[in-house]
Amino acid sequence: MAKTKKFVKEVNFTTVKDFRPKGVEETGLAFVGYEISDDRKVMNQKLHYDQLYTIRHGWNSPFFIGLVDGKIMGTKCPKCGDAWVPARTHCWNLDCNLEHTKWIEMPLKAKVHTWTVAGWSGRSSLKRLPIVLVYAVVEGSKVAIANELHGIKPWDAEFGMPLKIVFKPKEERVGAVTDFWYEPAEGWKPSPMTPEKERIKKLVEPVYEWVKTLQ
Amino acid sequence: MKMFIVSNLLWVRRERKITIDIDLSPKISKYWALSQWYPTEIRKLGDDMARKVCIIGGATTPFDYGPTGFESIEGGAAECIRETMKDVPEFRMRDLDLMIYSHFSVHFGHQLAAEWVIHDHLGLVGLPHFRIENGGNTGGSALYGAALAVKSGMHDVVGIVGWETMDSVGQSQGSEFIALASDIRYELLVGGIYPIYYAAMANKWMRDNKVTEEDVASIAAKNRNNAMDNPKAQWYRNEHKYITVDDVMKSRLISYPIKKYDCCLMTRGVAFMLVTTEEYAKKINPDYYCTVDGLGLSSCTIRAGDRLNFPGWTERYGPNYPEMTEFGACRASAETAYKQAKIKNPRKEIDFGEIHDAFSTSEAQIYKALGLANKDNMAQFLRDKETHMEGSIPMNPGGGLMGYGHPVGATGIMSSIEAYYQLTDMIPKKHLSSKTQVKDANTGVVNSHAGTGTSISNFILRRV
Repeated sequence: MAKTKKFVKEVNFTTVKDFRPKGVEETGLAFVGYEISDDRKVMNQKLHYDQLYTIRHGWNSPFFIGLVDGKIMGTKCPKCGDAWVPARTHCWNLDCNLEHTKWIEMPLKAKVHTWTVAGWSGRSSLKRLPIVLVYAVVEGSKVAIANELHGIKPWDAEFGMPLKIVFKPKEERVGAVTDFWYEPAEGWKPSPMTPEKERIKKLVEPVYEWVKTLQ
Repeated sequence: MKMFIVSNLLWVRRERKITIDIDLSPKISKYWALSQWYPTEIRKLGDDMARKVCIIGGATTPFDYGPTGFESIEGGAAECIRETMKDVPEFRMRDLDLMIYSHFSVHFGHQLAAEWVIHDHLGLVGLPHFRIENGGNTGGSALYGAALAVKSGMHDVVGIVGWETMDSVGQSQGSEFIALASDIRYELLVGGIYPIYYAAMANKWMRDNKVTEEDVASIAAKNRNNAMDNPKAQWYRNEHKYITVDDVMKSRLISYPIKKYDCCLMTRGVAFMLVTTEEYAKKINPDYYCTVDGLGLSSCTIRAGDRLNFPGWTERYGPNYPEMTEFGACRASAETAYKQAKIKNPRKEIDFGEIHDAFSTSEAQIYKALGLANKDNMAQFLRDKETHMEGSIPMNPGGGLMGYGHPVGATGIMSSIEAYYQLTDMIPKKHLSSKTQVKDANTGVVNSHAGTGTSISNFILRRV
């Protein structure tokens, strides 16, 4: 049998983690039920489909490996000097002709660009409500990156407030953006209550109660 | 001065030498120098393409969200065409020479290439067909594609079928499916759903433009109340009530400053529209067609945070635009459409619009991007109710996404059809009364919008 020619260096995955919840299985497509109306004119079919995906981060991998290591990795264009978190592996400036960028470790400091207080979310996030979501600019970056702001009452979030980036304990990290969050920088104090803060507080209070009712 | 050149400077692949008719007037040359990569600027924005694009008919199924469903997708498409045939009795299925299918997510349809199911059900085997997908701007992009097909001279009679079946999963799961159109590596797990991203953008926009929660709540009430005159609208078919600004303010928090009633609806629905040449329109439906005089399509970043300092925008509009608050792609595509339609002052020259009110806040942001108001007069523009039925430029008389519904692939088609009804005086026939008819409507804007403002199209439709 002819030796198969390899066009790329084979990758050897030596650190392998599997933290899938128990009972989640890829059973393939299956019709798992139906319902028919009392006049027997309308039928609904229940289709179940569950699939494990492999997201191959490829050239973006340093960012996600950085998360596992408790670092925020960004990139910088050697030509124009622009830097980004989230990282770009090629420069966005058209005059740089898609220049390859360099990976750099970013400081764990950021500043709120804008914020919101979520009282509803996707199915996987409902139990964590209310969530303060901010878009913050990591020091040195040209762009903002979204993440949760912890360590604050939801109505105390402010435009422009200084933040620090905090990572989960190493053993709990999964290599996703949820491995870190923002917290107010040392020394930051919330401003006094205002009518807007009272309004947000009033909107948020029922959310705490509602979350308690979730199984 | 007009001349033909052989160009290898343009954005097209260099090895393809093409001949393009360009106008080398000083103004155009300036644009060329400023931004060589914007093909529309140097290609005279399409207004040298002689073939006019017309909309000559269209209809939707009722829009709804329900566990039983009320038709199959192919059945719904067939019923939309049957209704169109009642309005346009001379139209024959055999006249179609291209079908464009407008559908957003396979996750809702649990069927890949579902357009193939619809297409052969309609008896159209042999006819060319393809699907267009562009997030929330899928419908607008399908109209853009159909218009290009007609303008190019390749096709004369193009049918568009748009649909989405969002009630195949629960609302919370549905929100998460839609959020798969955000960058899942960086955003899906931290925000979870689009309303949160939109709320973050709107919170700063409202502060910067001195717009209050009540100001945008009036938009939410307006669109739902307009829908109460539209029997196909989801709001009419379900909640079925007139609401006030106070009702919006009291609805549950989704993500500050957005409450439940500031959000559009999740919907099952199908739509069909006929896009043709002027020659065909005059022959088949001479008294009930409108023209598409301007079409613009533009793009922005997938992650809203990435549009800060983006060189492409800075080059075009200067620093600090679109920030994280403005819809740059809406402004850019509107400018293109206005230029083609020779609109200089949109506030005065446009009579109404059917626009993408995914959220009450984004409808207000769209007003600004369309050039209807600016930072200084935005709040007053809202308080004067200029976009209500009694105002000078009614927006979403058909109910919009908050009232009619938002079955993503069908939405832009629905908006275009409503605008077509306005421009052909068909509103009293299609709605319950003439309450939501815009008096003496001559020019309308149709807007379709995707992502966090990631892809946006604008169209200028005119009465003939």
